[in-house]
Amino acid sequence: MEIVVLIKPVPEPETKLRPTADGRAFDGEGVKFVLAGYDESAVEQALLLKESVAGSKVRAITAGPAPRSEEVLRAALALGCDMATWVEIPKGADLDPLASARILATAVHRYPHDLVLTGKQSLEDESGLVGPALGALLNVPDFGGVADLRYDEASGGLRFQRVVEGGNEALASPLPCVIALQQAWNDPRTAKLPNILKSRKMPIERIEGGHEPLLSQQRRVAFRLPAPRTGARMIDHTTPEEAAEKLVRILKEEARVFP
Amino acid sequence: MVDFSLTEEQLSLQELARKFARTEMAPHAAECDRAGRFPEEIYRKAWELGLMNLNVPTEFGGSGLALLEQTVIVEELARACAGMTTSIIANCLALEPILLGGTPEQQRKFLAPFCAEYHLASFCLTEPSGGSDAGAVKTRAKREGDEYVLDGEKCFITNGPHASLYTVFAATDPSARQKGISAFVVPRTTAGVTPGREEEKMGHRASSTSTVRFEGARIPADHRLGAEGEGFSIAMRTLDQTRTPIGALATGIAQAALDHAAAYSLQRHTFGKPIAEHQAIQFKLANMAQELHAARWLTWHAAWTIDHGAKGTLESSIAKCFASDAAMRIADEAIQVFGGYGYMKEYPVEKLLRDAKLAQIYEGSNEIQRIVIARELLRAYA
Repeated sequence: MEIVVLIKPVPEPETKLRPTADGRAFDGEGVKFVLAGYDESAVEQALLLKESVAGSKVRAITAGPAPRSEEVLRAALALGCDMATWVEIPKGADLDPLASARILATAVHRYPHDLVLTGKQSLEDESGLVGPALGALLNVPDFGGVADLRYDEASGGLRFQRVVEGGNEALASPLPCVIALQQAWNDPRTAKLPNILKSRKMPIERIEGGHEPLLSQQRRVAFRLPAPRTGARMIDHTTPEEAAEKLVRILKEEARVFP
Repeated sequence: MVDFSLTEEQLSLQELARKFARTEMAPHAAECDRAGRFPEEIYRKAWELGLMNLNVPTEFGGSGLALLEQTVIVEELARACAGMTTSIIANCLALEPILLGGTPEQQRKFLAPFCAEYHLASFCLTEPSGGSDAGAVKTRAKREGDEYVLDGEKCFITNGPHASLYTVFAATDPSARQKGISAFVVPRTTAGVTPGREEEKMGHRASSTSTVRFEGARIPADHRLGAEGEGFSIAMRTLDQTRTPIGALATGIAQAALDHAAAYSLQRHTFGKPIAEHQAIQFKLANMAQELHAARWLTWHAAWTIDHGAKGTLESSIAKCFASDAAMRIADEAIQVFGGYGYMKEYPVEKLLRDAKLAQIYEGSNEIQRIVIARELLRAYA
């Protein structure tokens, strides 16, 4: 099976983001970009399928600026992906989800692809639109919110589950298709040290992103941090009993939560 | 050209170590410290990820890292738990004599199994009657035909009860003192090899330390590393390589102490404001940061010096000695910042002081380091 997994560099989850001077985006300067969250699960799923279907290959593709794109691709290679493609997009290009999907569809078209895997959404933008748009652009079935994905030898397709209101539904799909994975339901592996060293020497195919950025319809006009929360208060204590006693008194006498 | 930036490759190794330290080591550090538990499951995971035999060349299946990369990794591990780190890096110490003194055949034979499977090895130099006076080794190795017979006792042996292989320094010619010491590889399965009970230690309690006794232990003559009488030189050259990572371990403890102290100082209020706003605390944090930076750069510099082909005895002794003394002072100040809470076992900083103490003692006490530093220094003036 030829598997393509689409990944996106996102700020390290613990990063404290700041808006740029013009207030339109978050400031990527000095921020560490990593392979994280849903994309990490997508790579893990790709590798699990590769291990279960003999002769499979996994190609990781990302579209973005240097150097963060190279770093997430190296991370994917260190985890066990076989090949990597970097679609270079100039830094600061404001891609909307459809433009991203167009760029990625063009890249996916260049390679054999039985299955295109993505995370449910990126950890930073959380639009969740690239997967479905990609299915339409590639003219193949697409599914979102997928979990427990398995190759079905009898049909030569895939079987998987989707969490729906009140239960799980079991679905099957022929190949090729696009699958956006639900969340980190698998336990993504950690790259081993020798594989990290090897991944530094593996080739990354670089292609130009073309003029798609100009086609973006959506513009981000502002990026704001959530208003700081106030009113938190630490209770000084030496024993848990003392802390509980003080808390109960505050809840009773000051907050009047209960009489 | 001076360049203090890490390469992308070094950064990804640091990231791997940091992630492992945070997710696998840190959650168990307090519990292992309290119980004196040797968390073998964590050491196995470290091995699986390639974090264990850092100095073994890739041709034998090891990680084959230069010293700078090793120091970067060791610092991150020690931030989470110095005791676990000691047990994880003990293989580097125990296998280094094979790298330095072994023939290509011995290296293949003894090193490859460590990379193919999880195994621990122990470095056996110190004896009950003398640690720093390494030339006064009393353990005997008598040649009998194609064999050597070992008799004697080693003490303070890291991973002693859990090791499958020991690198042992024993006197083949006691009258020749230093020049009569030889190095041997002794499999644990050898009859007459008995690790003693585990010591109860002040710190590094997730690591295991014991005596190892040799009573008529017979090993084939081809288990000798280097020539007869070359053992002391192999031991000293081994310590030249492994001293720098101890500086990194101490730096990791110091970083953890500063992390805890700074975070706590922003959270703890006295006299109506966070204690971080009191100058007394700011000065403490500022001093801790200065010493921490100095410890790290000295350690990196020692590693860089050795990676560039120099012996680095002076640089690595300076790094080990300064970083471990600094870690003691920084851990001490971290407790002071925490006040009464810092003295309580419920908080993480008192462990750091107990852990830092060992870094001043093992792999050459800091007194020995100062003798070495002075000797190297004066040589330049003589």
